[in-house]
Parts: sequence; C-alpha cells; structure tokens
Amino acid sequence: MNSTAVINYPPADKKPNYKVKGGALRYQRRFATITITPIMIYMIFFALFPILMVVVMSFFDYTPIRQGSGFMGLGGDNPFIGFENYKNLLFSSNTAASIFRKAFVTTIIFTVLYVPLNLTVTLPLAILVESVHDKVKGLFRTIYFMPAISSTVVVGLIWGIIYAPQGGLLNLLMHGLGLPSRAWLTDPRAFVFGIPVPLIAIMIALLWQEFGYNLVIFISALQGIPQEFRDAARVDGANSWHEFWKITLPLLQPTLLLVCVLSVISTLQQFVIFQLLTHGGPNYETYNLVLDLYESAFRYQSMGWGAAISMVLFALTGIVTAVQFRLLRVKWEY
Amino acid sequence: MENISFFKKKNSSLILFQKYMGKTIIYLILCAGLAFTLLPFLWMVFTSFKTSSEIIRTPPTFFPEKFTLQSYKTILTDPAVPLSKFYMNSIFVSGSRVLITLFTSSLAGYIFAKFRFPGKNLYFSLVLATLMIPFPVVMIPVYLILVKLHLINSLWGLIIPSMVDAFGIFLMRQFIESIPSEMLEAARIDGASEFYIYTRIVLPQLGSALAALGIFVFMGTWNDYLWPLIVITDNQKRTLPLLLTWYSSQHVSRYDLSMAASILVLLPVLIVYIIFQRSIVKGMTLTGFK
Repeated sequence: MNSTAVINYPPADKKPNYKVKGGALRYQRRFATITITPIMIYMIFFALFPILMVVVMSFFDYTPIRQGSGFMGLGGDNPFIGFENYKNLLFSSNTAASIFRKAFVTTIIFTVLYVPLNLTVTLPLAILVESVHDKVKGLFRTIYFMPAISSTVVVGLIWGIIYAPQGGLLNLLMHGLGLPSRAWLTDPRAFVFGIPVPLIAIMIALLWQEFGYNLVIFISALQGIPQEFRDAARVDGANSWHEFWKITLPLLQPTLLLVCVLSVISTLQQFVIFQLLTHGGPNYETYNLVLDLYESAFRYQSMGWGAAISMVLFALTGIVTAVQFRLLRVKWEY
Repeated sequence: MENISFFKKKNSSLILFQKYMGKTIIYLILCAGLAFTLLPFLWMVFTSFKTSSEIIRTPPTFFPEKFTLQSYKTILTDPAVPLSKFYMNSIFVSGSRVLITLFTSSLAGYIFAKFRFPGKNLYFSLVLATLMIPFPVVMIPVYLILVKLHLINSLWGLIIPSMVDAFGIFLMRQFIESIPSEMLEAARIDGASEFYIYTRIVLPQLGSALAALGIFVFMGTWNDYLWPLIVITDNQKRTLPLLLTWYSSQHVSRYDLSMAASILVLLPVLIVYIIFQRSIVKGMTLTGFK
C-alpha cells in the first residue's frame, strides 16, 4: 500500500504527472486548452499564415487583377517565377526596380540621419527636464508630449502649411529675416550636403511629432538612477560634465540601446508623414520603402513585387532586432 | 574639516554665479523647446481663424488680422461632412479593438502565466515570433484574407485582423506572473470556477496594466492611417484621419478649412490628454518601458 503511494508521487524536479494527480489538474488543463486554442488558431490565421504567405507570394508574379488557378489565386495566370522578383529588385534597370533601389537608399539615409538627430535632442533635453524643479518639470513634459498624441495626419497637415511656398510659416520667418521664399517640399534641386531639402523637412516634422516619446522614456530611466551615485561623484569632485559621461550615460546604456533600436525599427516603417508632405516627390527624392510597398501593391496591384519589397523590409527590421538581442545580452552580463 | 570649509568659502561666489548661469541656460533651452513644440500648434490655431483671403496673402501674417469663425461654421454645416458620423466610426473601431484586445491579452496572458498544458512552449514562441513582425510586412496577405472574407470596405475590416495583440499577451503575462499562485489556489479550494477566478481575482489586479495597454491600443487605432486607407473606400465609413486628408484634398489652399477640421479632430483628444496625461504618457510609451 505504502509503496504504491511512493511510486505514484511525481519527482520534485519533473513536470507533474497530470493523470496521477487526478481531476483538479486535469480540469485546469482542459480550461487552459479550451481558452488558448481559439486565440492560437486566430494567431496562426492572422499572423503566422500571412508571413508565410508573403514569403510564398514573393516568388510569384501575382496580381489580384488576374484570376489565378491555385491556392489564394497563386499559379496559372499568376505564375511561379522563382527568384525573379528579387533578381529584378537588385539588378533590373526597369523603372519599378530603380525606384525601389532609390527608396531603399532613401530609407537607410533617412534612418541613419534621423535616429541620431532624435537621440541627440531627446537625451540632453531629458537631462535638462530632470534637473529643474518638480513643479515646472511636469509642465514641460506635458507640453513636449503634446505632438505625440496628435494623429500623424494632423501633424502632416500642420507641417504642410508650415512649409507651404505661399502663406507658409517658414517663408514668413524667411521674410522676416530678409531672405527669399522657397519651395521647401517641392524643389528638386535643393540639397544640403547632398541630402534633399524635402527629406530634411520631413525629418524635422517627424522629430517634432516624435521627440516626446523618447524624452519621456529617458526621463523615467533617469529617475531610476539612484541619487547616491551622483552624490558620491560630487563628493569626489566631479562636475556636471563628468557626471554625465561617467555616471549617467553608462547607467543609461541599456535604455539608450533599447530606444535606439525601437526608433530605428519605427523609422524604417514610416509612411504617413512622407505620404502627406511630399508623396515621395520631388523626383522620388523622398520615396521610402513603405511608400513604395503601398504604391506597388495597392495602387499598381503588383502584389508579388510588393511581397518581395515586404521581405526586404522584414529583413531590415530582422537585422536590427538581431543586433539588439546580441548587444543586450552582452550588456546584461555584468 | 577646516580645509573643506576654506575651499568652499573661496569659491562660493563663483559657484553661485555658475549655478545661477547654469539654471538660466537650462531654462532658456527648455523654453526654446517649448517654442518649437507650441509654434506649429499656434500656427494651426491662428490659421483656422483667418479669412480665406488673408491666408494666400504675401507676405503672410502670423496673427489673424480679423478673427473669424467662418471656417468652423463651414465645416459644421457642410452636409458632405457629418463630423459626428466620422467620430462614431473612429470611436467604434478604436473602442472595439481596445475591449477585444484587453480581453484576449489578459486571458491568454493568464493562461501562459499560471497554467501548464501540452504545447505551451510552442504556443508562446508563436506569440514571441509574431511580436517581431512589423505590420507593413504582412499588409498584402492580410488584405487578401479580408477580400476573401468580404470585409473590405467595412469597419470590421479594421477590427478583425487585430483582435489579438502579441505584445499585449506578453505584457499581461509579465504582470500576471507577479500575482501569487496561492491566491488562485485558495479560490480553487473554495470551489471557484476557472473563469470566475479570471474575472474576479486576476482582472481586478491588472487595473493599471490594462489601462496602459488600453491607451496604447486606443491611440494606435485612433491615429492609424495606412490600414484604413487600404481597407475603406466608402465615404460614409471613413475614420477621422481618412476624413481629414480627404477634406483637405477637396479644399486645396483653403488652409483655414483644413486647420479648423484638424482642430475639431484634435481637440477632444487633447482635452482627454490634459486630464489623464500621466497615464496616457505611460500607456503610449509602453513599448519603451518593458
């Protein structure tokens, strides 16, 4: 009698044996399975299936205008073409491919310029906001975050009117300074250090909308740094400059990295502000990847081609995410 | 001891001067930031009060010479733009998405945090994997699925593809793990059903997390533009962002009208933000805080 009880008892380091433990656990397990199954089926249908579908579609010359023969309209009139889409993305000299390559380069340039700009504004600003009296601190934070709650469409419309060649705020300021008016968003020959002025204009509008996010994240990270560390540095004779480089920045590094990665990923996916301010123009100078994806797939209906562009976007964000995981692991070791 | 006080005394006026200067510079920079933030808003407000002739004048004016509410009157009486209708559309889509996402996220988060069942690890890796897929990447197949389901040009087409949020599940699981299991065990011994435990014991402890996730989802949906642009073609089914771009494209160079419309769309959100700003900021920057 006694010996069977001992045998049936599950070893402490192993999963409990549901069958032996009887009705209660089996009931719990059934509840879990019944609840989670529909949610998982939904996720397979609306998340896993679409991503597999994008991969498959990128190997087809697919457009919803033609009625294909196979599954989801693939095959038949929408033939399998292997790596043709990818080959064309890279090497073809046709218009769509040239536009894609330009959009790719523009997206990279925009991200490489915008994210450091964003961080060099938000981090010092966060430190300054943290350093002032509690009462005004809240006021600054509330106002700085206001653009972030505004819909990007509103932001696009406001900045469209700021940059407007006639009646725009920027040209009003130029006029006040005695400078000539300019077409900020449409001049194809305007460059600053080889970067199109319309792209810079978009960058500033986007910065205006987004800087509140990173600012608030930095502020909350700064509040997490114990005051003792700073006091200790002060006692050792450090000034604010040293304090920033030797105390604040190293302790902020995980947050900085996270913010950097999140900003890169979201910048790679920007769409609305580009669409509203310039619609990719002039001369495709501000055409970015998601704009190209949207136009190819939904305006020109070449969805196989669009799927290949999606894969490029996916690869880009994948690389960034992988780098983040790698760096974070290293950082958390000490 | 004496050495230190001597050191202090010698530099006290210099330190005071530096401190004072430092504070002044800090406030100057912060106020420049305020100006940068507020100027576009002010420009929006002033533009909406100008007359249509004043807007296209060169050089332009900053303050409206003659305050007029004409643009607001035009919009509010325009039978082609029943604003309340579009507000209802946006509220319906955002509200449903928030409720559904909060339900599915907390339920799935609860299951992942507190239950052991076959396939759990596989399911959870599915959740984590979908967390890393940016929406634009899967836009095309999701659109094709909606075509098959006849949900194109329907407000449900904005809700159905995003009823389960991988990030939401992940977040809720983190929170629910910190609820002591003994509490759930005690309820079970008292004969509570699993669903009762979820609604009466787990959910009430998730208040702030649910609020934050709700705000995150709400603002994301409320401001979403790309997906409605693809799904909605019928005028009557537009959400507010779609309405705004359509309206301003109908009235090119009538900046007073597009700015007044923007204000009418923005104002309620702004008021709610001012009231609940602390939790809204927390909710919207959720991804950064995890």
